[in-house]
Amino acid sequence: MGENIERKTDKKRKFPARDIAMIGLMVAVIEVSKLALGFLPNIELTSFWLILFTLLLGWKIAVVIPVMILIEGCMYGFGLWWLMYLYSWPLLVVLAWMFRRQESVWFWAVLSGAFGLCFGALGTAAYFFVGASQGTLSARLSAAFAWWVAGIPWDIVHCIGNFTLMLFLYRPFRSIVERIRRQMAGFPGGHDRQGKQRKDSGS
Amino acid sequence: MAETKKTDKKIAVGAVALAVAAVVMAGLFLLFREKPTEGSKQITITVVNSRKEDTDYTLRTDAKYLRQAMEEADGLTFSGQESEYGMMVETVNGETVDFDRDGSYWAFYVNGEYCSYGIDTQPVEDEDVFRIEYTVSAASE
Repeated sequence: MGENIERKTDKKRKFPARDIAMIGLMVAVIEVSKLALGFLPNIELTSFWLILFTLLLGWKIAVVIPVMILIEGCMYGFGLWWLMYLYSWPLLVVLAWMFRRQESVWFWAVLSGAFGLCFGALGTAAYFFVGASQGTLSARLSAAFAWWVAGIPWDIVHCIGNFTLMLFLYRPFRSIVERIRRQMAGFPGGHDRQGKQRKDSGS
Repeated sequence: MAETKKTDKKIAVGAVALAVAAVVMAGLFLLFREKPTEGSKQITITVVNSRKEDTDYTLRTDAKYLRQAMEEADGLTFSGQESEYGMMVETVNGETVDFDRDGSYWAFYVNGEYCSYGIDTQPVEDEDVFRIEYTVSAASE
C-alpha cells in the first residue's frame, strides 16, 4: 500500500502540470500555424515546429505528436492522409532527435526540405498498404506510383517551403524557445534540457 | 576547425543532393504524369440557323453534360442567361433569339427527340446526335 502511494507520487513528479501546459502550448502553436497557413497549399510550419521542439524541449515531443495527430483527425477527418501522419511525423521527430547535436541552420533546412520532398512518397506507403486486399500487387504498385507522381509538384512546393521557412525562422525562434525553456527550468520543479528534474527544485 | 569544415562540406553535399532529387522528381513527373486522353464518347452537334443552314460539329469528349460538350466543340459559340435551371441559351454562333419579340428560341434535340433537360443537365452518351435548331413558336406565327 505504502509502496503504491510512493509510486503514484513519483509518477506525479514526472508529469507536473507545467509540462502538461507546455505540451498543450506546443500543440496549440502547431495547430494555429497550420490554420494560419492553410490558404497556401503545402506550405506548413508543422515540420519546423516539430524539429525545433524536439531539439529544445526533449521528451515532451513524444506526447505532442499523438495529441497533434489526434486533433488533426478530429478536425479534418480520419482519412488515408491521417494514417500517413501516424508514421510520417514521428519519423521526422526521430530524425531530428538522431541529429540533435547539429547546430547548422543549413543542415536543418536541408533535412526539413528533404522531408517535404519525401512527404508524398511516405503517403504512398499508406495508399499501397490500405489497398492490400484489393487488386494484384502490380496493379497496386502501379496505382501507388501514379498517385505519387501526380503529387510531385506539390512535394517540390513542400520541399521549397520547408527549406526556406527553416532557413529564415530557425535562428530567431530557436533563441525564443530556448529562452522560454530556461525560464521554465528556473521555476521550482523545472526540468533541464535532458528533461531531468532539477535537484534544487525542492519538489 | 577541420571537423567543422568536414561537417559544412557534408551539409553542402546534402543541399546539392536535395536539389538534384527535386529535379529528378520533376523529370519523373513530366515523364509519367497522367496525360490528357482523347474523349471516350463521340458525338455530333448540328446547329440549324434561321436560314435552315446546317453546321455540324463532331467531337470526342468525356463531357457528362451537353454544356461542356458544346464548350469543347471547336467553332461553336453560344451564350445566354444563367438561371436556376442552368443556362438559357439565347445566342448560338452569333445568332440571337428573342421569344418575347417574335417567338424565336433555340430548340435542343437529342437523337431526334426533344431534349427533356437544359444544357447543364442534359446527359451526353456515346454516339449521341444533338441538334440545336432556330425555331419560331407556332403560336406567334
